[in-house]
Amino acid sequence: MTTRIARGLGALVLALAAWLPIAACAQQAAPAAQSAASPQQAASQWNQPPAWNDVSGKGQYASVPGRETNILIQGAGHEWRKLSNGPITFLGGIILLIPLAILVLFYLAKGPIKTHDPLTGRLIERFSSVERVAHWTMGLSFVVLAITGIVILFGKHIILPIVGHAAFSSLTVLSKNLHNFVGPLFIFALVIFITLYIRDNFFSQGDSAWFGKFGGLLSGEHVPAGKFNAGEKSLFWVLVVGICTVMSVTGLILNFPNWNQGREAMQLANLIHGGFAVLAIAMACFHIYLGTVGMKGAFDAMKTGYVDETWAREHHQLWYDEVKAGKRPEKIVAGTAQPATGD
Amino acid sequence: MARMKFICDAERCIECNGCVTACKSEHEVPWGVNRRRLVTVNDGKPGERSISVACMHCTDAPCMAVCPVDCFYKTEEGVVLHDKDLCVGCGYCFYACPFGAPQFPQAGAFGLRGKMDKCTFCAGGPEENASAEEYRKYGRNRLAEGKLPACAEMCSTKALLAGDAEVLTKIYKTRVVTRGKGDEIWGWSMAYGGSGMLADQPGGKA
Repeated sequence: MTTRIARGLGALVLALAAWLPIAACAQQAAPAAQSAASPQQAASQWNQPPAWNDVSGKGQYASVPGRETNILIQGAGHEWRKLSNGPITFLGGIILLIPLAILVLFYLAKGPIKTHDPLTGRLIERFSSVERVAHWTMGLSFVVLAITGIVILFGKHIILPIVGHAAFSSLTVLSKNLHNFVGPLFIFALVIFITLYIRDNFFSQGDSAWFGKFGGLLSGEHVPAGKFNAGEKSLFWVLVVGICTVMSVTGLILNFPNWNQGREAMQLANLIHGGFAVLAIAMACFHIYLGTVGMKGAFDAMKTGYVDETWAREHHQLWYDEVKAGKRPEKIVAGTAQPATGD
Repeated sequence: MARMKFICDAERCIECNGCVTACKSEHEVPWGVNRRRLVTVNDGKPGERSISVACMHCTDAPCMAVCPVDCFYKTEEGVVLHDKDLCVGCGYCFYACPFGAPQFPQAGAFGLRGKMDKCTFCAGGPEENASAEEYRKYGRNRLAEGKLPACAEMCSTKALLAGDAEVLTKIYKTRVVTRGKGDEIWGWSMAYGGSGMLADQPGGKA
């Protein structure tokens, strides 16, 4: 009997001994489990880094309607500001001055490029009226966009100190509106231009030789070329098809903030637009130079649509030969009253 | 001289939108323009917190830096204001601002931006203080009347505080000490540089 009692007590003691540490553990564990589940405890992380950093950039709930109103902080604007005010403005300004310096020096050293032989007075149609209208719509709108863009990007540093805040603001309002409304016209003309001119701008056999001698620009050597020489073709593909298309897409993103794009898209579009704009203007300077003061007879080609036979033979011999052989749509117009081009 | 700042205390904000309404009413801002807005984190979940966001009147204000016509200026009290007569509506300040403060009335065709509007810290604009012209363009100039911004004055839980930074941080410090937690001030690191921690602010030191 006593042994049974002793056994019973022993079991009780054992049971107690086994239970006590478990109970103690449970008592310690209970608040910890509660803290993980209770909202009050979870909230203790707020106003403690990095709690806000983790949520600030992400879309949350906002009762105020509108695009991105539910984002607390969009920090990428700082990066945009650094790049826009830094390299785009500073390096961009330098890149714009380089072609001007080169062209002024080239003009002073070599003067305009003239034809070697006298003009014949026989004219060849070079550009149809449709081609000229497309070129000038694109070209003039490009110039308007370039000038107004320069006012917006650099005006604060070069015009504002001279004319003052009020006058510069009026100029910039005008520039901004011209830029925004001429932009879509430029894109329209760009599409037409590419469609009309792409046919004669595919690279062909003589082009590598032209590149090798750089068109004889420095040596004065004669390098035969098709309707467009390799330099013009490069400009077509790089500037018109490449850069201008990128500028059009980024321009539309910036021009229509009522589409649903966010700030990040506009920051990126603005940087690309500004960077490529500077390159585009720098490249266009060379084209504008050669099309006006740099080469006798070139401007008339786009103004009247006709060039002199001598000009065609000396600058675009392969094209001239084809026209003469009757392989091209362009025709030679015999004998006008006076030589209209190239003198 | 005071340095005007905002503090929004997420531990107190109850997302009542009183500040948003006070602002709209005080300045009669047009439709579609919200100088102040509320953003709620963990909406409807445990740990929900709200922050009232407007222009923070940054120390090195990005809007000022990127404006192509230089229409921004900073008052002696550190309030960032702008001249609507100079603003061209290009939207650059909107690209640059981390807080989404610049607002553009988009009533025009093709999403054309009008002149930018933003929180003025109830300090009006460059026009003569309390003039009709100033009220029409920028809303009421409460600072000139010796009052603090309407949003913070209206705040029922005093979650939103506006005023001199040192006074604000002192108030915030007493709260943090009482609560025993959370000594980061929301948005301050982004707006004013530094850590945004209470201990690093002039009024927050022990």
